[in-house]
Amino acid sequence: MLTSIKTSRRDLLRAAGVGALAIGAPAIIRPAAAADTLKIGVLVADSGPAALFGPAQRAAAELGAATVNAKGGILGRQVEIVFADAGVPPAEVAKSAVKLMLSDKVEMIFGSHDSAVRQGVENVVKSKIPYVYTPVFEGDDCSPNVYFLGEVPEQELQKTLPKLLEFTKDKTFYLVGDDYVWARTTNEKAKKYIAQIGGSVVAEDYYPFGAPNRFESTVTRIKSMKPAIVLQTLVGGDNVNFNRTFADFNLSDDIVRLSCLLEENTLMGIGKDASKNLYSSLGYFADIDAPQNKAFIGELNKKYGDKAPQQCTISKGLYDAFVFSAAVTAKSQSLAAKEFAAAAEGISFDTPSGPMTMKNRHTIKNIFLSRCDGTKFTVVDTFTAVPTQQACT
Amino acid sequence: MESLLITQAINAVYEILILAVLVLGLAVVMGLLNVLNIAHGEFVMLGAYCAYLVQKAGFPYLAAVPAAAIACGAIGLVVERFLIRPLRYDPFETLLATWGLGLLLRKLVEFGFGRGFRSVDIPVSGSISVFGEAYPIYRIVLMVISAAVLVLLFVWYARAPTGARIRAMVGNPVLAEAVGIKTRQLARNTFAAGTAWAGVAGVMIAPLTPVEPFMGLTLIVNSFFAVVVGGMGTVTGLFAGAGIIGGLQSVLSAAVSPNTAYLAMLLLSILFLWQRPRGLFPRS
Repeated sequence: MLTSIKTSRRDLLRAAGVGALAIGAPAIIRPAAAADTLKIGVLVADSGPAALFGPAQRAAAELGAATVNAKGGILGRQVEIVFADAGVPPAEVAKSAVKLMLSDKVEMIFGSHDSAVRQGVENVVKSKIPYVYTPVFEGDDCSPNVYFLGEVPEQELQKTLPKLLEFTKDKTFYLVGDDYVWARTTNEKAKKYIAQIGGSVVAEDYYPFGAPNRFESTVTRIKSMKPAIVLQTLVGGDNVNFNRTFADFNLSDDIVRLSCLLEENTLMGIGKDASKNLYSSLGYFADIDAPQNKAFIGELNKKYGDKAPQQCTISKGLYDAFVFSAAVTAKSQSLAAKEFAAAAEGISFDTPSGPMTMKNRHTIKNIFLSRCDGTKFTVVDTFTAVPTQQACT
Repeated sequence: MESLLITQAINAVYEILILAVLVLGLAVVMGLLNVLNIAHGEFVMLGAYCAYLVQKAGFPYLAAVPAAAIACGAIGLVVERFLIRPLRYDPFETLLATWGLGLLLRKLVEFGFGRGFRSVDIPVSGSISVFGEAYPIYRIVLMVISAAVLVLLFVWYARAPTGARIRAMVGNPVLAEAVGIKTRQLARNTFAAGTAWAGVAGVMIAPLTPVEPFMGLTLIVNSFFAVVVGGMGTVTGLFAGAGIIGGLQSVLSAAVSPNTAYLAMLLLSILFLWQRPRGLFPRS
């Protein structure tokens, strides 16, 4: 047992050394054999709490690759996906990323997963190849050679909060979230926007992430404090649990709820009886009435029939990653960090949710404010080209 | 302020009773048979899916109760025959085996229904006034049913002949066999009763939580803590464990913060495992 561990560790070190040399070496001395297809590592949630997005993520990525390939691929080469599971602990995903680079020889990595995993992957990719991170996240990351396609809190809130006031009795906010970096950062940024519109925060509750949470105590406090808006940064099962409890306590008639991560699957869990006066602010909804989206969903339905997994902003971002990379490389003619970064700045590309423009390695995009009608979303307002307020160079 | 206190107090009672209902099947199997059924949460999950299917098919919600009890009880019988009995009810081996069983059940449900959230509609909606405070009626119904079940169980275990036979089997299996108690049958039925009740608990809580294949994992955490603190194999331990864990969670969550409540519960459980691993009221 012990020897086998030793051997494998030695082998891994050797492989890592050789691999680091190979990646660090100038492109000219790299073996030319791999040049036929361009491999891209795609990190999706095959397991873990986000695994419910896994099938939709794979479908979106595969459609992205097929779309790009139909137009001649990237740098004139056909694209090939190598999937890896991002639903395991960050250190494990980092190992997968190393394997993707060293043995699969991927030349880019796309990922849809949480920030802890992203930091783990950034630490091993070390900006050697472009890394495109696609989901909603908290912002404030400027790691080199990493490109962010997801919604940052500034985008979810700056235009949405003033608009939401049209539906509320006053400007008092109650913040409730899961206790981790995305929720905490989003709420800090929200407080800034709430102050700007002359609102106030009456209370703030955080629940341990991944714990068996019950929300009766918070809902009871909300009932007695009577805020106008409950701003939520709860995810997955906690999001469902909170909103069902909220509606059970009969608060949904008088208090408006805005969730910063409420997509199609979560709304299915909340159910039709608990979704009154519940709003969601995101960069994409699967039902949005845009020709690009109709084409996107249409292609998926054609390929998967009625087994097509439910798309949402978390999964659709991986499709965008392919479109984005094709647009950038058409301009840069290279995947080298410097050229890629120069070409990425200011580039515009079309996605199912409408046009996006990359600025400071984040994407200016459309943001939709949707109201839940039963278990469907109805877009009540579309804010075009919402800036990210991110300052990466 | 007063109204806030009243509602928070009802919340605490609600939390304790729901936890007691979730712990019940686990505590019965653990306390009487020395089998820690790690798959207990999965039986609760199966019960919740029964509720989902019954509601979707348009039957009255109450029909889910026998459906879940029969389905989960039947699976319990199969599991007892082919997993627990061949392992001779060994505490450690059955722990590993039921852990694997949990994995299997989750994957089977995932295969059949997918990972997505399902929602079960509240069968009785609306609020009722309790001490002048509006409280969701379904939760009140649950509290009443839970309290009734726990009291009935308490009385039954103390009075009924089957209760006496179980006590005899647990106290001295060889002697119990000698006086004509069919211990093998009794153990089988006790195990199946535990899983059947887990299924019924799943029906009860299904309208309150997201129904998905992995729901059992988080639901069951507090139940284990309750068993650790309360002690195994006694009804008093069951009440004490659910009361302390559920009450602590609810009160601290309301008075301080949900994070503090969770931390306190973890610390308390660690303290018990370390200093008093048999809990407050263990079987003597």
